[in-house]
Amino acid sequence: MAGVEEGQLISCHTIEAWEEQLQKGNNSNKLIVVDFTASWCGPCRVMAPYLAELAKKLPSVTFLKVDVDELQSVAADWAVEAMPTFMFLKEGKIVDKVVGSRKEELQQTITKHLSGSTSAA
Amino acid sequence: MAESGFEGFEKRLELHFSGDDPITGLRQIEFETLEEILNAVQCTVVSSVGNHYFDSYVLSESSLFVYPTKIIIKTCGTTQLLKSVRPFLDYACTIGLSLSRCMYTRGNFIFPKAQPYPHTSFKEEVIYLEEILPENLFYKKASVMPSKLPSHAWHVFSAVGQSYLIDNAHDHDQLFTIEVCMTELDCLLAKKFFRRHNDGKTSDSAGEEMTLMTGICDINPNAHICDFAFDPCGYSMNGLDGDRYSTIHVTPEDGFSYASFECVGSVYDDCRKISEVLKKVVQVFRPGTMSVSTTSASHELRTRVANAVEQQGMKCRSCTVDEFPAAGNVVFQTFTNRRK
Repeated sequence: MAGVEEGQLISCHTIEAWEEQLQKGNNSNKLIVVDFTASWCGPCRVMAPYLAELAKKLPSVTFLKVDVDELQSVAADWAVEAMPTFMFLKEGKIVDKVVGSRKEELQQTITKHLSGSTSAA
Repeated sequence: MAESGFEGFEKRLELHFSGDDPITGLRQIEFETLEEILNAVQCTVVSSVGNHYFDSYVLSESSLFVYPTKIIIKTCGTTQLLKSVRPFLDYACTIGLSLSRCMYTRGNFIFPKAQPYPHTSFKEEVIYLEEILPENLFYKKASVMPSKLPSHAWHVFSAVGQSYLIDNAHDHDQLFTIEVCMTELDCLLAKKFFRRHNDGKTSDSAGEEMTLMTGICDINPNAHICDFAFDPCGYSMNGLDGDRYSTIHVTPEDGFSYASFECVGSVYDDCRKISEVLKKVVQVFRPGTMSVSTTSASHELRTRVANAVEQQGMKCRSCTVDEFPAAGNVVFQTFTNRRK
């Protein structure tokens, strides 16, 4: 089953959906931001509305959401220990990481990698 | 001493709850509810992160840790920390949790006259707490633990109920808390907690740089650190290491410079661990004066603390021990730099 799209914020509830979205993102050379989140984590709830807003504002970025309880193996493979963790991917490689509800830092990191792709093009 | 400045000394509150379903417990709290509570205290969340065991919030004035059945909140400046007690209890009640233990501690304010109600005096604080706390917390005691240094005294209020003793029969004996308050920081070291004008960094990345530059990152290399640099100066960090938190707050201004360190440990840890931690804390700040307060069931910790600090060129000036019914022993030790 493919993820449920909310604007550009895509929740991946199964491994298949997650792999499909990653593949799609990698093929398109778009910047992917993965939000590793948990329902029981207070700081994740702080970030949720902000992230939804960012996703709407930045259609050129793919935002994926992974619940660390739903996709435990993914969270383990990616060594996610603190929530929320935002992983930045480009062409299948992790290029950056922001841990915690750090709005300013998240915004700046996205800007950094977006401008990087513009100059490369 | 400056006539008036920022009050570095924190007020610290620890609340334990018990209930039927404490798996997620207090971590379910909606951010809006949390903001309202913090609003009453007069502070806000500036950064936060969680792990499998607890949520950590760096506040505009210090820190908050939320566990499923435990809250630790410390705030500095002229915040009204105790105003958070009633709303926390009300919230806990909505999710079926009731208070089983309350511990309130603080040092000596540098600017006591600047404190608002109910923090105008320790007596006032105790009256305020006793009015709010449920009656079943009947093991109660308030105490001011003196030292030979007029600038340092430790204020402790503890209230414990029977349910706490039942829930924590095991943990109670093995866990301890260490609270360190440091004044007259080394000027050169304190300067590292000032931001460069127009550094172009976010508060998070400036904080990260301070964590690295000052050696704070080495205190517990296993901890995930959530750090924040204030403008133009000041620093806060929360550390997360499994189920254990640590926290540091720095007010670096000359004349009323202050830094605090707090962490939890277990009596089953390698005893070198806490010595190593304290050694590094002293090295980061080189304070003129420091106090170390430990809350634990055992007495043994006291010599370990004193040895570790004395090895760093500090001299122990006083040691006061007080027993709090059902909460354990509080040992309050003060040290000064040998140069003094």
